[in-house]
Amino acid sequence: MIYVDKLRKEFKKTIKDPGLKGSIKSLFKPKSEKVVAVSDISFEVPEGEILGFIGPNGAGKSTVIKMLTGILTPTSGTCTINGKNPTENRKSYVKEIGVVFGQRTQLWWDLPLRETYGVLKEIYEVPEDSYKKRMAFLNEVLELDSFITSPVRTLSLGQRMRADIAASLLHSPKVLFLDEPTIGLDVVVKDNIRKAIEYINRQEKTTVILTTHDLADIELLANRIVMIDKGSNVFDGTIGELKTKYGQIRELCFETDSPNAAQALGYEKHFGFGEDELSLEAEGKTVKVRFNSSVVPVSDMLSYTLDKINVSDISVKDADIEEIIRRLYKQGVE
Amino acid sequence: MMKRKLKIYLPFVNAGIQEVATYRVNWIFFMLGNAIACFVSYFIWAAVYSSGGEESMNGFTMPQMVVYIVLMFLTSTIIASDGAYVVGEEIRDGTIATRLIKPVSYNATFLFQELGNKLPTEIAIAVPMIIVVEIARTVMSGEVQFNALNLLLYILSCVAAYLINFYFNICFGFLAFVIKYLWGANMMKNCIIGFLSGTVIPLSFLPDALERVFLFLPFASLNYTPVMIYMGKYSGAELCYYLGLQVFWVLFFFGLSKGLWKASVKRLTVQGG
Repeated sequence: MIYVDKLRKEFKKTIKDPGLKGSIKSLFKPKSEKVVAVSDISFEVPEGEILGFIGPNGAGKSTVIKMLTGILTPTSGTCTINGKNPTENRKSYVKEIGVVFGQRTQLWWDLPLRETYGVLKEIYEVPEDSYKKRMAFLNEVLELDSFITSPVRTLSLGQRMRADIAASLLHSPKVLFLDEPTIGLDVVVKDNIRKAIEYINRQEKTTVILTTHDLADIELLANRIVMIDKGSNVFDGTIGELKTKYGQIRELCFETDSPNAAQALGYEKHFGFGEDELSLEAEGKTVKVRFNSSVVPVSDMLSYTLDKINVSDISVKDADIEEIIRRLYKQGVE
Repeated sequence: MMKRKLKIYLPFVNAGIQEVATYRVNWIFFMLGNAIACFVSYFIWAAVYSSGGEESMNGFTMPQMVVYIVLMFLTSTIIASDGAYVVGEEIRDGTIATRLIKPVSYNATFLFQELGNKLPTEIAIAVPMIIVVEIARTVMSGEVQFNALNLLLYILSCVAAYLINFYFNICFGFLAFVIKYLWGANMMKNCIIGFLSGTVIPLSFLPDALERVFLFLPFASLNYTPVMIYMGKYSGAELCYYLGLQVFWVLFFFGLSKGLWKASVKRLTVQGG
C-alpha cells in the first residue's frame, strides 16, 4: 500500500546574527546553510494497518507526512502510495487520501461547518446519495449534529478536530494521514476520536498513518510503530517488539528503615549488572531500583533484597511504553 | 468537461460570497476610503483646470476629467485583486498546505473564491455609479452621451482587465516562495501600478514616447483601456488593437502563473508545524 524508500529532504535556512545589527547585515549579505530535515527514511505500510509514526519534536515527522501527502517534494528517495507518486500527479493522487493536520484546519473559517462539506462534496465529486449516507455515517461516529450549522471560527478545538476528521473522510479515502489529531484535546474528546479512527479503520480497511505525542493513541490504535529521530529511522516494529527489545526494564520499589539501604545491598557487585542495566533512586525511606530483567530475573532480585534488609512495602512494576519511549528519546537509540 | 469543472469551482464562488457577508463593516470602510481618495483627486484636478485656464488639456475637458476620475475609481474597484496578498500570506503561514491536499487547481480556487468575494459588491457599486456618471455627463454637456455598445465593451474589457490583474498578482504572490514576506514589495507594486495604469494621471498627459511605452505595458490594460473605451476615446482598429492587447496579456500572465507555480511548488517549505 505505502512504500517509502530512502526519503530525504533538505531545506535551505537563512541564518541571521542576533539583534538589529545582525538583521541589517543579513539584509545585505544573507547567509544560508543546508538543513537536513529527513535524511534516510524507509518503511512500508500494508493495507488496512494503523501505523503509529512517532519521534521527538523536530524529528522530521511532519516533513515526512508532507512529502507523503504531496505537499513537499523530496530531495531524493521515493514514496509510492496506492501505486502513485504523490508529487507527480498531485490532483489525482490527493483524491484517494484524507489528511488532517491537527495544528491547522482545512475547514472554511468563516462559513457554517455544513458549507465546507458541501464544497468538499463537489471537489471530490461525491454523488448526492452517497454524500447523504456518508454524512449520516460521519455524524453518527463523530457526533457533528450539534454544531454543524455554526461558523467554524466559533467551534471549540474538540469540535473543530472532529469536524476536520469528518472532512478528511468525506470521500472515503483509502489512506488517511493524521498529523497529531489529538493535540490539545481533553480526555473525553481524545477517547471519542480514537474510537472513531479505530471504527473507520475496521469498517473500511482504511490505511492510517498517525503521528502523535500522546502514547496512549499509539497503544490503543497502532498495530505497528515507526519511530524516527533526527531525520532517520530508529525503530520499526510492533508495540510488543518494542517492549521486548527495550522493555526488559522492571522497577522494584520498596520502603525500608535501614539507612543507606541501596549502597548496603550492592546489586552491581552481587549480580554483576553492566552499565545502563541498573539505576538506583532513593528518597527518604523509599528506594526505587530499575533493572534489566533479562540479566537478573525478578524473583532473584526480590529474594535477594528481602534477605538482605528489612522491607516494609514492596512492589514490582512493568515498564510502560512511556518509560521506554522516554529513554529512547533521551539517548537516541543504541 | 467545462460543466464538470464549473461544478467543482462554483462552490468557491458561493463560499466567497458568504465570506463577504461576514465582514460587511470592513467592506464599507474600504469603500469609504476609496471614495475619499476619489474626492481628493477631483479637487486636485479642479485646481489644475481653474489655474490652467484652458478648456481642454491633452484631450480632456474638466467635465470629462470628472468622468475619468469616477470611472477610474469604479474600474479599479471592479478589477481589484487580493491575489498577491492572499497567496503571499498562505505561503508565509503555511496554510497553503491545506489547499494542496485538495484535488483542485491552486490558482483556480483563488480565482473563483475572489469572484465570489467581488461579484455582489461590484454590482452594488457599478449600477448606481454608472447611472450617476451618465446623469452628470448629460447635465454637464447638455446632451445624452450614453452609448450602450461602449458600456458592453467596457464590461468585456473589465473582465479581461480583472483576469490580467488576477494572474499578475498570483505571479507576484509566488515571490513569497523566495522572499517569504511580501508586505513591502506589495506596497511598492501598488504605487508603481497606480502610476503605470493611469490611475493617478491619464496616460495622455505623459510625454509621447513614455505614453507609447506605458500603453503597451500590461498595466495600461488594467484600468486605462476600459475607461478610455467607456468614454468612447477608442474606436475601430484602435479599439480592436487595445482589446487584443488585453487578451494577449491575459494569456501571458495565465501561462506565466502556471509555469511559476510548477517551478516554485518544488521549492515550497511549509513554514510552521
